[in-house]
Amino acid sequence: MTDCQKYVNEIKEGRYKDAVSTIYDAFPLPASIGRVCPHPCEDACRRQMVEEPISIAFLKAFAADKIEADGDPYVIQCEPDTGKHVAIVGGGPAGLTAAYFLRRYGHQVTIYDMMPKMGGMLRYGIPEYRLPKAVLDREIHIIADSGVKMVNDVRLGKEITLDGLRDQHDAVLLAIGAWTSMSMRVPGEDLEGVYGGIDFLERLGLGEKPVLGERVAVCGGGNTAMDCCRTAVRLGAKEVYVIYRRTRNEMPAADIEIEEAEEEGVTFKFLTNPIEFYGENGKLTGVKLQIMELGEPDASGRRRPVPVEGATEDIALDNVLMAIGQTANCDGVDASLLTPRGTIACDELTFRTAFDDVFAAGDVTNRGAGIAIQAIGEAQKAALCINNYLEGDEVRGHIPYFVEREVTPEEFEDRPKQNREKMPGLTPEQRRDNFEPIYFGFTEEQALREASRCLECGCHDYYDCRLIRFAHAFDVNPSKYAGETPNRENVPVVTEMIVHDPNKCVLCGLCYRTCEQVAGKTFLGLYNRGFSTVVNPMVPEEARTFCATCLKCVEVCPTGAMRSYPAVERKVALS
Amino acid sequence: MKLIIGEGSCGLAAGAGAVHAKLEELLAQDNPTAVELGITGCIGMCFLEPIVDVYDDEGELHRLVRVQEKDCKTIYEAATTGNLSLLDKLLITPEDAEFLSKQTRIALRDCGIIDPESIDDYIAHGGYQAITKILTTGMTPDDVIAEIDVSGLAGRGGAGFSTAFKWRAAKNADAGEDGRKFLICNADEGDPGAFMDRAVIEGDPHALIEGMLVGAYSIGASEAIVYVRAEYPLAIVRLKKAIVDATERGYLGNNICGSDFSCTLRIKAGAGAFVCGEETALIESLEGKRGMPRLKPPFPAQAGYWHQPSNINNVETYANVAWIINNGGKAFAAMGTENSKGTKVFALSGKIARGGLVEIPMGTTLREVIFGIGGGIRGGKEFKAVQLGGPSGGCLPASKLDTVIDYRELSATGAIMGSGGMVVMDESTCMVGMARFFLDFTAKESCGKCVHCRIGTKRMLEILDRIVAGKGEEGDIEKLEDLCYAIKDGALCGLGQTAPNPVLTTIRYFRNELEAHIAEKRCPAGECRELISYSIDQDVCVGCTACARQCPVQAITGERKSPHKIDQTLCIKCGNCKTACRFGAVVVA
Repeated sequence: MTDCQKYVNEIKEGRYKDAVSTIYDAFPLPASIGRVCPHPCEDACRRQMVEEPISIAFLKAFAADKIEADGDPYVIQCEPDTGKHVAIVGGGPAGLTAAYFLRRYGHQVTIYDMMPKMGGMLRYGIPEYRLPKAVLDREIHIIADSGVKMVNDVRLGKEITLDGLRDQHDAVLLAIGAWTSMSMRVPGEDLEGVYGGIDFLERLGLGEKPVLGERVAVCGGGNTAMDCCRTAVRLGAKEVYVIYRRTRNEMPAADIEIEEAEEEGVTFKFLTNPIEFYGENGKLTGVKLQIMELGEPDASGRRRPVPVEGATEDIALDNVLMAIGQTANCDGVDASLLTPRGTIACDELTFRTAFDDVFAAGDVTNRGAGIAIQAIGEAQKAALCINNYLEGDEVRGHIPYFVEREVTPEEFEDRPKQNREKMPGLTPEQRRDNFEPIYFGFTEEQALREASRCLECGCHDYYDCRLIRFAHAFDVNPSKYAGETPNRENVPVVTEMIVHDPNKCVLCGLCYRTCEQVAGKTFLGLYNRGFSTVVNPMVPEEARTFCATCLKCVEVCPTGAMRSYPAVERKVALS
Repeated sequence: MKLIIGEGSCGLAAGAGAVHAKLEELLAQDNPTAVELGITGCIGMCFLEPIVDVYDDEGELHRLVRVQEKDCKTIYEAATTGNLSLLDKLLITPEDAEFLSKQTRIALRDCGIIDPESIDDYIAHGGYQAITKILTTGMTPDDVIAEIDVSGLAGRGGAGFSTAFKWRAAKNADAGEDGRKFLICNADEGDPGAFMDRAVIEGDPHALIEGMLVGAYSIGASEAIVYVRAEYPLAIVRLKKAIVDATERGYLGNNICGSDFSCTLRIKAGAGAFVCGEETALIESLEGKRGMPRLKPPFPAQAGYWHQPSNINNVETYANVAWIINNGGKAFAAMGTENSKGTKVFALSGKIARGGLVEIPMGTTLREVIFGIGGGIRGGKEFKAVQLGGPSGGCLPASKLDTVIDYRELSATGAIMGSGGMVVMDESTCMVGMARFFLDFTAKESCGKCVHCRIGTKRMLEILDRIVAGKGEEGDIEKLEDLCYAIKDGALCGLGQTAPNPVLTTIRYFRNELEAHIAEKRCPAGECRELISYSIDQDVCVGCTACARQCPVQAITGERKSPHKIDQTLCIKCGNCKTACRFGAVVVA
């Protein structure tokens, strides 16, 4: 998980290199991911309680682009060599991320990939107009420059085998992704002109220019479907349909993708489901659609589409792109490592397979195909577990413990409204007949404005907090002796410049002891007894008048309960 | 003829003030035989207060007990006429007199005998001989400490640490550039049910001063401080007067008894926190800070008050010192057991027939104290448990009654000697409720500095609250035990480290009661309100209406002379009806 509050703040302060470094602490590839990510993080952003969330993803891409443009690219710092060697199969987001972390830990890493170039689905699944491959190449180079070896055009089960890799390496990570389009099990799928969506995009990525007819339908409602339909528009199709059995509200694709597809002239056929592809002489000519309506919610919480008896519709078509999902092709992986669904079975926390030295991450695991950042997140955790394994430590994943606080829009009522920056880019007319990147990226002025919108609502010391570190290290279980929590009234102001949040305070006493013993003052002290004890200014008027704001209390606070206000530069806790 | 009124806090609470005023008034009107009126401190027989000691002209003592204002006229007549047979009704019974005769009094030697406000009276009873002997016969500090060492005197505040060892450590400690050493008396007597230190200060303040002087001389301190809890106003008044008197007579101040030894004594009134009875917290409080314990080491003997070498003992410890110097360490060591020498004062309270202060030699059994001296349980009920050591101690069942009073023997049972609180409980006391009571006390008195004490005691209290409310769950006992041991290991000071003791002993000796609360939602003692209900036995009730009249919520209805009923929806389970019923018709289920 990235400390988005931290790097957004660093961008606000113009410290772009620091911002990129903060991002790299969580994952490589910020310029690429910043462009293509459907950014679930922004859904969590509390700025939307004021008006709209922060453009976290675009800011990420901005910072990475900016230091590159300034000629000061990020260089990965690695620990001294450990002498261990890890093989990674698959050079997509998961493989690259794991390689990056394992290299940083000081291990030798070799990535084996079946395609001619590294990047996986980022290269072969995402069209150029969304992610210029030059950007991806640049970020892959940064990883290669750290010493990660990259071997292309080798396929598991052919040029290389799992056994062979295990023999030659200390550990193996399988990150081979999910590259097979799922079948719709509809009659006529074998007609000429019916393609798998991902296969279609892959051909494009390889430099081919697939020929499409004038009327193209894409089946599915996810991001791959959007990539397919928008690519079809760019390849010259006159009529492009998206066939989706639910409504727009249930579409898994990002809103902006749907909007932009509409702008580019794509027609959405909601509440329709193909029941037959038909054609003449083995060549597709049309599709029969069943009209659907929404019924009761299903297990995913979305309302289940049910057929409307006897209602159908026919559309004449030249091509169909099936983008209803992808599945893994695990040829070359021992059958004993697979789930009944054909994905690789691994532990949800440690990412370890049935073989001690073999791990798996990304789309190929039991969770199934998802977005790039999910694969990256898994790879980051898997890399840590592989590192534990290589160092001889206990391989132990854990679910980190977090304290969450309910935040209501009322808390931000006083913030002036300032909508998010609009990403400059091509107009629909300018973009629909070519693969030029549709976004120009934020200007520096825009980025600074956007970053300054951050409410800094998260804990300011989460990444310095020693309490949360210990809580994670010792697998804290707060429910074991759950009970009343202290009812500490918020007494936020110590002085004009220092704020104390008693709900984060663990009463370690460092602040008031520092005030007394280091600063030579007694502005802080403890009040009440036992469970009701709180840190308070001893004499509030005295503290407000005489405190010299040395901020030593803020520096020593291990949990971020004591902080300076307005938030000045973050102080690093003294250890 | 002399009339001496017991005017300790206990006597005054029982009405000694009114008795004094009345007698004074009567004597002021006419006092033909020059009857003298005087006061004294607490003799320890709190259950008999107010007590008036009548010394006839031969000096013989006639002890009058439970004297009320209305008896004053009779006393006046008897005193002025010399017809003491008028007082027969008021005389102490031979059985009650045993309460005193069975004791061995050292710390309390003059309490309830001398006038605490008169230094002359103290001197007349052999006071200030010890310090005079030391300063005039050339006893060195080492000689004094050696004598204390021979006596085997151990700290009476609870921990039972060797007094001589502490004094020697403070004496040998380097006082640095500052050069000062301090002697401190811990009179922050905070345990519920403990009041022996108060009795000593109120009844014999000079004994404390003399003991402290000996200590100060031994360790080389020229400044002594008594940290008295502010809730003892009378003790503070009497101690203040004693300090003024002693300074006037040259027992305090410069060149005491004409020697080189100088020492001042002052009082610091506590700020009302239990934890200030912990020595390092007490020092913090003395320095004007919030009373919170310091980490040990350094021990106070190395770096105490203002980080100078300091010695801290409690009141009872100092009260023994002069006696030891006067009578020799061997005489003191002759009493007691191998590990615990001398005597110990206990404050007997609770469901005991004769409550008060008891000083007995170490090695006496609990049974002897409770049944021999204390007269057993009040009202003929069954003995159930005795709580020793207050919130730091534990409850012992009848099977442990033959345990002898000895630091080690008591610790082995899970209770502790403590400062001497001894709360006796009968069958009507719920042991779970008792454990909850003490834990509630420590949780509230925790200073909040360390996590184990601040949160651990709170969590334990929550579990016990749940159990007494009938919401206990399986596994609660194990959870409590877990917490107990974690707190014992993790807490910073004695308060936290011993806070789990009442719960641990309850689990150890009264597990069945805990289990009844948890598994059967039943309180065997019939005390936990959430788990009991009151009803009226229709066959026994005679319809006297006594219960209905006592019910504060009018939950009892019924015609006169016909059986009554309790409306369970209204009943608040106060128990008034059960107390009011003379026919045993109110039953608890």
